[in-house]
Amino acid sequence: MNGLARSPSLSSPERHGQADAVICFEDVRLCFGEQCLFDGISFQVSKGATKVLLGEAATGKTTLLKLALGLIRPDAGRIWVCGAEVTRLPEEQLFELRRHIGMVFQESALFDSLSVRENVAFRLIEEQRHDDAEIERRVRIALSFVELEDAIDQMPADLSGGMKRRVSIARALISEPEVMLYDSPTGGLDPITSTTIMELIIKLRDVNHVSALLVTHRLQDAYLMATHVWDPAANQLRPALPDASHTSFLLLRQGQVLFDGSGRELMASRDEYVHTYLS
Amino acid sequence: MDDSPVAGWIKDQLLSLQDFTLLLARAFQNIFRRPFYYDDVLQQMDTIGVGSLPIVMLTGFFTGAVMALQLSATLAQYGQIERTGDLVSISLVRELGPVLSSLMVAGRNASGMASELGSMLVTEQLDAMRALGTDPMKKLVTPRLLATMIMNFFLTIVADICGIFGGFVYAVLAIGLDARQYWSSAFYALDFHDLVQGLTKPVFFGIIVALVGCYYGLKARGGTQGVGRATTQSVVTASLLVIVSDFVISRLLITFLGH
Repeated sequence: MNGLARSPSLSSPERHGQADAVICFEDVRLCFGEQCLFDGISFQVSKGATKVLLGEAATGKTTLLKLALGLIRPDAGRIWVCGAEVTRLPEEQLFELRRHIGMVFQESALFDSLSVRENVAFRLIEEQRHDDAEIERRVRIALSFVELEDAIDQMPADLSGGMKRRVSIARALISEPEVMLYDSPTGGLDPITSTTIMELIIKLRDVNHVSALLVTHRLQDAYLMATHVWDPAANQLRPALPDASHTSFLLLRQGQVLFDGSGRELMASRDEYVHTYLS
Repeated sequence: MDDSPVAGWIKDQLLSLQDFTLLLARAFQNIFRRPFYYDDVLQQMDTIGVGSLPIVMLTGFFTGAVMALQLSATLAQYGQIERTGDLVSISLVRELGPVLSSLMVAGRNASGMASELGSMLVTEQLDAMRALGTDPMKKLVTPRLLATMIMNFFLTIVADICGIFGGFVYAVLAIGLDARQYWSSAFYALDFHDLVQGLTKPVFFGIIVALVGCYYGLKARGGTQGVGRATTQSVVTASLLVIVSDFVISRLLITFLGH
C-alpha cells in the first residue's frame, strides 16, 4: 500500500491465518445505545473474490460497508482492508487507505454541483500529482468502461438513475482500486439497466481482478454474479464453471452471520430462515 | 436525576459545545496542513465577499443616514449639531459597521453554508468525499472559515465607508452642514483604538458566522426538513453569538487598549 504508514500493530492479518484476505472482519461488534446491530461478526474476502451480502432491510448491510471503509468505527473487534487495520488507523491515514478502495453508494452520491467529468476526476484532482491531460485521459477511459463517454459534460441532475450509478462506478474505479464496495448498485433500477450494471461489476471482477463486497436485495443479481463470468473475447457474459466465479455469499440476521459460503452451499442449506429468505 | 429532562438538556448542550470546539480546533489546524485548497478559498471569497457587497453597502449607507438623522436632532438641542460627523463615524466604526455587516453576512452566508453542507450530508455526498480520500473538513470547512474571516474584514470597511457617506448625504442635504466640516470632524474623531476595535471584531465575527453555519450543516439530521431546520438555527445562533460576542470583545479591547 503506497504511502500508507504501517506499524507492527497495524500489520496485515497474516498471523491470524488469513494470508490472502483482502477484507477481514474479526468479531466485530457495533451497538447504538442498547441495540446491537452487529454482535461478533467475522468473515473474510479473498483477493480477487466477491462476497455478496444478503439480508433483510435494516440488518446493517450498508453499515458493514461503511465499517470496511472506516467511515464508522466499531465498538469492538478488528477490521483489516488491504492489509491495514482500519479499526486502529487514525483518520489521516484512513484517507490514504481509502484511495485504494472504491465505493458505489446506494443513491450514487454524485457531487451535484460538479459535472460528470469533475465527479469522475475528483480523486485524481485531489491527489494533485496528475496533469490535466493525464486526468482527461483517465476520466475518458473510466467513462468508456461504463459506456458513458458521451455524458462527460453533463451535470448529475441531467442523468437517469442508471446513468448516475454508472458514473458512480466510473468515479470509484478511476484510481484502479484493489477493493470495491457496492451498496445496492441496482436498487431502484429497471431490469435492463440492472443487468448492464451487473455486467460492469462482473467485468471488473474478472478482467481487473478487483475484490469486492456487494450489498444487494435482488437475488437474481446475486445469482448472476455467482453463475456467470466475463468473456473478454466475446465481450459478454457466459455461464461459469462451478466455483469459477469467485463469488460467495454472506447472509446477515439479527446482528449475526447466519450463512457464509458458496452459492451451491447456500442453495443446499437446510436452515429454515435461509429457505424462507431465498423463496 | 441523571434521567431528568434538565440533565438531558445540559448534557446535550455540553456535547454541542464539545463538538463545536472540536470543529473550531480542526478547522484552524487544517489551515496549516496539506493539501491547501487555494481555489476553494478564492471561490468562497467571491461567493461570500462579492456576493454580500450590495447588501452590506445598502445596510451601511442607510444606517449612517439614519444615525445622522437621529443624532443631529439630539445634538441640535445642545447646540452641537456640527459634531454629527464625529458621532456617526465613531459609532459606525466601533460598533455598527462590524455588527451590522456581520449580521448581514450571517443571514446570507451562515444559512447558505448550513443548507449546502446539510444537503451534502443527507445525500451522502460527504461520505462519498471521505470515501474518495478527501477530508470534508479541509475541503469544505476551512476554506469557508478563511474566506469569511478575510471578507468580513473588508466588508466591514466598506460598510463603514458607506455609512459615513450616508451620514454625509443626510447631513449636507437635509441639515445643511458644511461638507468639509462633516468630513474633517468624521475623520479626526477616529483614533487608533477605534480602528483596532472596529477591525478586530469582524475577524472574530467571521469565525463565528462560518463555523456556526458549517456546524449546523454538518449536524443536519432528518432529510430535507432537517436541512431547513439547520439553516434557520444557523442564522439565529450566528446572529445571537455576534451580538453577545460584540459585548465581550468590546469589553476586552477596552480593558487592554483603553477607551
